[in-house]
Amino acid sequence: MNPYVLTILLSSLGLGTILTFASSHWLLAWMGLEINTLAIIPIMAQQSHPRAIEATTKYFLTQATAAAMILFASTTNAWLVGEWEIHQLSHPLATTTVMLALALKLGLAPVHFWLPEVLQGLELTTGLILSTWQKLAPFALMIQVAPTINSSLLIAMGLLSTLVGGWGGLNQTQLRKILAYSSIAHLGWMVLILQYAPSLTLLSLFLYIIMTSSAFLTLKTNNSLTINTLATSWTKSPTLAALTALVLLSLGGLPPLSGFMPKWLILQELTKQGLPLSATLAAMTALLSLYFYLRLCYAMTLTIYPNTLTATAPWRLNFTLITLPLSIITILALGLLPLTPAVTTLLTL
Amino acid sequence: MTYIVSLFLLGLVLGLVAVASNPAPYFAALGLVVAAGVGCGVLVGYGGSFLSLVLFLIYLGGMLVVFAYSAALAAEPFPESWGDRSVLGYVVVYTVGVMLVAGWFWSGWYETSWVVVDEFKEFSVLRGDTSGVALMYSYGGGMLIVCAWVLLLTLFVVLELTRGLSRGALRAV
Repeated sequence: MNPYVLTILLSSLGLGTILTFASSHWLLAWMGLEINTLAIIPIMAQQSHPRAIEATTKYFLTQATAAAMILFASTTNAWLVGEWEIHQLSHPLATTTVMLALALKLGLAPVHFWLPEVLQGLELTTGLILSTWQKLAPFALMIQVAPTINSSLLIAMGLLSTLVGGWGGLNQTQLRKILAYSSIAHLGWMVLILQYAPSLTLLSLFLYIIMTSSAFLTLKTNNSLTINTLATSWTKSPTLAALTALVLLSLGGLPPLSGFMPKWLILQELTKQGLPLSATLAAMTALLSLYFYLRLCYAMTLTIYPNTLTATAPWRLNFTLITLPLSIITILALGLLPLTPAVTTLLTL
Repeated sequence: MTYIVSLFLLGLVLGLVAVASNPAPYFAALGLVVAAGVGCGVLVGYGGSFLSLVLFLIYLGGMLVVFAYSAALAAEPFPESWGDRSVLGYVVVYTVGVMLVAGWFWSGWYETSWVVVDEFKEFSVLRGDTSGVALMYSYGGGMLIVCAWVLLLTLFVVLELTRGLSRGALRAV
């Protein structure tokens, strides 16, 4: 792609998210979301492979549907209540429709089906943009409209997302699909706590972005798309292989790692709010997710061939990829747990 | 006036049924043209004559080129019209659905929803839609700049998606 065009597309990607952040009017927020969708489409289709084009078409259709639903709901709210402000979304019809539309944009459980298919057709870096930067604008809207949404809908969506995210990823061999299901499960946790502690939602989103960026960049460095290629990737970079196991366990939410922080705080908050059943269900469904993270760890680092190895580590040449972002973000994905008191103090909404 | 607006509203629903029932692109484009033209008539009936003129010129002028190209790309020897069986099923289902919903809302809705803009105010030089245009150019200048940028972005997106003979996965040729 021409670098000038790429510059225009990437800056518009930034512009869309920032417009949605800055808007208090539904029309401007909708424009920001549409700019976001429009700007990423050529980036998704730049491989010009039939799978990439298919993924792009699916993404465009779902995002356009969701944006049209947002526009419809805000217009309905303006008609019934006479108010265009994002905060003033008060009619139940409008709030429920907006919530469903945002769930479709993010890929939450009842309307999640596009996410694994789309992510599977993309390059890893584009998938990284899709599962991090593209989540920000819908989440900003969701946090703003959260107080008026029916809370049983949110809890049902959250629990269903964690369940489906764990369950759907169980039998996958394609890493991008596994990451997509991991995204669904993490978004379920965020939506579960949305009405009770929005700052925890934000914290959870930031930590998910850090961890999944680390996973995507690792896969990009190893150039691996399936579990099979992951199993032989330790020969390329043994240190990275050892750290990747920890990153995956951090995504699964095991205690000494960063990924434990959001799960711990969310479970604590749910228990405090008198929702022990939801907390238990969420914790149980996280075990399903943990299973496929563990399988990835097992294939990558915890096992070796039962006979003599016929291959050794290849000759080390200079790395052409820039590895500084990967190393920084891996450190963040592994070691943020001791900072929990500082983070919870700083992140208040 | 009531008869004409009722006719326009009926035509709008039927035009949208004609598009949504998935006929061949020729006929779908025809249905869209009917729906757009009749929708402009509805806007006139509700008091937005300038808005209606803008919509008519821009939409039917600009989009028809796109329709012509897409219909030419998807040319087929035996295009399905609304009489064919696969399309007729959708037509019947949508028409019946619209009638059911109309019956549901029959009693209380249609009288109150027909309020012509600026009808109950004192005499004024500007109608609602023309003063809205003035507001858009004065207070909404930032939004206009964003819209212009989006149009430029759309141009680049379309050029990037359709460029090149060897890599055109979107093309029918």
